[in-house]
Amino acid sequence: MQSLQSKLSVGLFLSLVVTFSALWLLVSFNVQYLAEEYIASRLKHDADTLLSRISFNKNSQLVIDSSRVDLIYSQPFSGHYYVINTPEQSVTSRSLWDQKIKQQTVITGQQLKSVQQGPEQQSLLLISAGYMKQGHQLTITVAEDLNPVNKNITKFKTGFSVMAIGLLLILLIFQIIILRLSLRPLNKIKNELKELQQGKIEKLSLDTPHELQPLIYEVNHLLGIMQKNLLRSRNALGDLAHSIKKPLTVIKQITSKIETSDVNRATLDTQSDDIYQITDRILKRARLAGHSHSGTLFSFSEDFPVLLKTLNMMHVNKTIQLNLQIQENIICPVDREDMLELLGNILDNAYKWATYKITVKVKINSELHIVIEDDGPGADNEKINELSKRGVRLDEKVQGHGFGLAISADIITDYNGEIIFKQSAELGGFRVDITLPLH
Amino acid sequence: MRLLLAEDDFNLVETLKKDLQSAGYAVDVANNGIDAEYLGNEMIYDIAVLDLGLPQRNGIDVLKNWRASNNHLPVIILTARNAWHERVDGFKAGADDYLGKPFHIEELLARIVALLHRSSQQPGGALNVAGLSLDEEKQTVTTANNEIHKLTGIEYRLLRYFLLNPQRVLSKSKITEHIYDLDSEKDSNVIEVYVRHLRQILGKESIETRRGQGYVFRGNE
Repeated sequence: MQSLQSKLSVGLFLSLVVTFSALWLLVSFNVQYLAEEYIASRLKHDADTLLSRISFNKNSQLVIDSSRVDLIYSQPFSGHYYVINTPEQSVTSRSLWDQKIKQQTVITGQQLKSVQQGPEQQSLLLISAGYMKQGHQLTITVAEDLNPVNKNITKFKTGFSVMAIGLLLILLIFQIIILRLSLRPLNKIKNELKELQQGKIEKLSLDTPHELQPLIYEVNHLLGIMQKNLLRSRNALGDLAHSIKKPLTVIKQITSKIETSDVNRATLDTQSDDIYQITDRILKRARLAGHSHSGTLFSFSEDFPVLLKTLNMMHVNKTIQLNLQIQENIICPVDREDMLELLGNILDNAYKWATYKITVKVKINSELHIVIEDDGPGADNEKINELSKRGVRLDEKVQGHGFGLAISADIITDYNGEIIFKQSAELGGFRVDITLPLH
Repeated sequence: MRLLLAEDDFNLVETLKKDLQSAGYAVDVANNGIDAEYLGNEMIYDIAVLDLGLPQRNGIDVLKNWRASNNHLPVIILTARNAWHERVDGFKAGADDYLGKPFHIEELLARIVALLHRSSQQPGGALNVAGLSLDEEKQTVTTANNEIHKLTGIEYRLLRYFLLNPQRVLSKSKITEHIYDLDSEKDSNVIEVYVRHLRQILGKESIETRRGQGYVFRGNE
């Protein structure tokens, strides 16, 4: 889906453009209209004034008292013109020179407004009015060039447009800022969700606008339920393992009392070992947190040293030289308990078989790479093939140290990672390569 | 050596206690967390075997409380909860060793011996002190002239306690505390009898008597 921000921005931008365009059209139309109206009313006054300067002599000839007519009508092509028509004769202003203005007779008391092309590309506004004077019917047409006014109007329109566009831009900037500010909580939630995924936080913070609070509440609520369910099933499985192992322990203690020569002892021993291994593996597989959030992620800076200390304590009789090459600031995408199980089993195996040296390399690029190798006897190809078989069936017997590795392989599979067993070229023993995707 | 077994499973305690006793340990049993914590603070134990799933107080809490009150009793955790994160948490709480259930008794005994040696700063393997070598499996002692002597139960317990605490003044009551469990009849005069037995095997100079203080183990030097 389109981003909320761009959607809102586009919507607001369009509505602003429409508003501004409408305003611009309205203002320009009105300015034009008002200017023409104003000129028209002035022309009417001029026509009325002209009428007062007109008289008819005895011969019914039209006479104009030109000394009392405005000078502007005498200058050629001044932009101000008049034409006076009677049915018998037609008098034009000097300013019109030899040019003609098309005009029509208007009956007395009527008035007509029109626009036409005048001399020298002038755009003329004409007012023709019909009068009756001394029993003579006459039509006076007064014209004025609109170009100077139009020029001013254009100037005004340009100014107005520039200002409108400027305002539009300022408003847009304001809008973007306002949008950014009001969408900031969403960005915060986005970042928090990322942190949640990485296990840095367990809950979303409630410091959000009212509109978003129900959503946050709901997410937190669901997270809580998920964590609780996971914890509950983990605990239930742990209790189950515990309660199966207790009778198994007793069986084992009693079995050890049977004479070693008795065949039943061996059978009982292997059978109880099998039950133990199967339960252990099923339970460990079942309690794998996988990709659900159980809370804490494994930390190489905090959990790894404790794990190594644990291993040293468990193999206190061995002097192992550990070579750690761990990249700094590694974010591990795996749940703490899963990772402890994964590394614990592999490292325990390395401790068991190593003569002196174990190397652990951890680096991160687009994936997390872990290499663990030892200088022990290693494993032959047959064994490596057997270990590499994906998803060894539960009822298949996994002998001794292979058992722990099988659990590690289960965890890797669950995280869509990859585990490779091979001979170590560097130390000559066993080598385990782990690749884990970061998401 | 006196051992505290904190375990609530009755059947397991039955067999385990017998095995530990025949391996020469004075065993007291606590079947809940509160008793276990109390007994562990009595300072009479040399080692504790602690189950994590104890009723009333979780084993991890018991261990944490001991460590918080500066009680350095060597502890082996014995538990069915043997996922790695639980082991790590166990060691974090202050455990010295961790054994998952089900287990072989031989493994537990070997770990107890190893931990006792470690906590008295003795190297692993057979207990070799002052020209004497104690075989903890066969309960025999080899003297400097390579003679092997069989030991009775109490003799073995007493000698092992001496060997793990050489050159130290050990009072009769302290010795009694460490080789008998709560249920045994304690008579500190019996100690004198066993010390005499040991002197017969190891030579008169091996155990020095300090009047009013107790004994100091010197060995065959």
